Amino acid sequence: MADIFFGSVHIPFKNIVQALTFRDTGKDEWNLIILNFRLPKAITAILAGAALSVSGLQMQTMFRNPLAGPYILGISAGASLGVAVVLLGFSTFFGIQTGGFFANWLIVMAAWFGAGFVLLCIFLISLRVNDVMTILILGIMFGSVCTAIISVLQYFSNEVQLKSFVIWSMGSLSNVNGSHLAVLIPSVLIGLIIGLLTIKMLNLMLLGENYARSMGLNVQLSRFIIFLSTSILAGSITAFCGPIGFIGTAVPHVCRMLFKTSDQKVLMIACILVGSLVLLISDLISQLPGNGVILPINTITSLLGIPVVIWIIFKNQRISSI
Amino acid sequence: MIPIIQINDLSVGFKDGTEKRNVISSLNTSVMPGELIGIIGQNGIGKSTLLRTIARLQQPISGEILIHNKNISLYKRSVFAQKISFVSTEIVKLNHCTVRNLVAFGRSPYTNWFGKNSAADELIIDEAIDMVGLSALASRNINQISDGERQRVMIARTLAQDTDIIVLDEPTAFLDLPNKFEVVHLLSELTRKKGKTILFSSHDLTIAMKEADRLWLIMPDKFIEGSPEDLVLQHQISDIFKQTRLKFDPKKGDFGIRRKTVGSCKLTGKGNAFIWTKRALERLGFDTETENSDYLIEVNILEKKNAVLWQLIINNQILTFSSIYDLTRHIK
Repeated sequence: MADIFFGSVHIPFKNIVQALTFRDTGKDEWNLIILNFRLPKAITAILAGAALSVSGLQMQTMFRNPLAGPYILGISAGASLGVAVVLLGFSTFFGIQTGGFFANWLIVMAAWFGAGFVLLCIFLISLRVNDVMTILILGIMFGSVCTAIISVLQYFSNEVQLKSFVIWSMGSLSNVNGSHLAVLIPSVLIGLIIGLLTIKMLNLMLLGENYARSMGLNVQLSRFIIFLSTSILAGSITAFCGPIGFIGTAVPHVCRMLFKTSDQKVLMIACILVGSLVLLISDLISQLPGNGVILPINTITSLLGIPVVIWIIFKNQRISSI
Repeated sequence: MIPIIQINDLSVGFKDGTEKRNVISSLNTSVMPGELIGIIGQNGIGKSTLLRTIARLQQPISGEILIHNKNISLYKRSVFAQKISFVSTEIVKLNHCTVRNLVAFGRSPYTNWFGKNSAADELIIDEAIDMVGLSALASRNINQISDGERQRVMIARTLAQDTDIIVLDEPTAFLDLPNKFEVVHLLSELTRKKGKTILFSSHDLTIAMKEADRLWLIMPDKFIEGSPEDLVLQHQISDIFKQTRLKFDPKKGDFGIRRKTVGSCKLTGKGNAFIWTKRALERLGFDTETENSDYLIEVNILEKKNAVLWQLIINNQILTFSSIYDLTRHIK
């Protein structure tokens, strides 16, 4: 709530309530700011926080790796690559105008594929390599490769394409408008609903693949469904907000600490709530400097998330578990 | 009686690249309901592979496994999970997971898509924890219990899974001696009290021999099965160690290293003191059994009221010691 009330333009409390309930505040620009700017931004923060945290939880359980997360393992970079391929590669062929409803869906789906592709690569490697840190380093490399390919694509693309991509890549919570939300809300909801259906699978996966299978789980199918959910969640957010770091890794651990359980049902719901809250607070902090200066959201989440990650690495030297 | 598991011409192994490598070939055997079977063999001989194949965690290379007269590959996934439960060598490490939570996972083949346990399920879980004697630790975190207790939690989980057959891969690995005995004894109790059919692998022959109804000895070129006692009487057990420096003692039922004899010793005495002095002398390489005229040393055990004294005759000297330790120090 506070996220809606504070911003670079001061608007009286009473008028904000009026705007939210669709009554006239007396000033058109106030209505505009609240409904077209601050409200979408708050909704996006809630969606992004929930989606990234849940995808982080799923990845940590799947890989049985306490440091897994969409940003750290390069899933977000994969999603960016998907978007780059569409915006820089195909858009001229199809003459797609950015901002349209169809284009938004195309971008989101490209991000899903990009995220899913990197996730698949990491999974295949994790079948052979068991070491938590090795997989982490490989994930960072995948991320770098994706970023490098994006640079190459940028180099070979024309001015119009480049402009549309650069605008996209500067994406943040505040860039999300109503037409984006029309795609983002259903995407994240689909991802979360699939996520909630994977709770039992994730619980069994906690014990490892052999145990999961011996207790009757269809491991292959479960993996596919979990990956589907993770790719949709991480991909959708990256498509519209750009990469947001460390939330996906840190929030599941905060939830484990708060609720002292390994039950994925409790943790997933906790991730949705805590993740949304953390990102709303991050967004609030990003406006603290005042005078219209807004810090990039990725900076804030890094500052909040990295201490948690460092803490996990230190703790991990004693107990290697999630 | 009808066998619960029937194994016909089974070859198991794994794919090494494109090549298939058999570790166990053409195995024919069966398991009766309520049996405790110990699978014995060297490391890498294929015990785990065999157990994993029986538990359907990997495909056989050829041949078939029937459970209740039905090929295991024909069972539906969820039905099969109600027939066989499995404990692997992996140690489950989870923060914030209680003993009860872990045992509760065993109910998952019976619960719905969301894994919600009914009141009846909860009762079965409590019973399973009680059966392995861990009720007092039910709410303890699994990272805060001993290795032996954790192994019993894993067994309780198979009880919650309520399967006729339980398959355990090296359940005594990583355990200290008392826990090794307790875990295998628990398995034996489950076969007798609950009618479970249990297969476990181990390289701990001594413990397996004390509890198992039947041993499967897997050797590089052959497969031998039978009750531990029959196998001893047929010299099968001592044959296993032919190639090694180990020697099986059919009287004591245990193993020792074959030693070079340094000489013979005349030993007189009785009771436990005699048995343990004999062991100490054998440890030093003395033969105390062969009747012989030129003894290298002579040891007499003298028992007085509350004390035992050891008299050593060596090089025409007579020495007396108050403990076996002092005796052995002097001989050495």
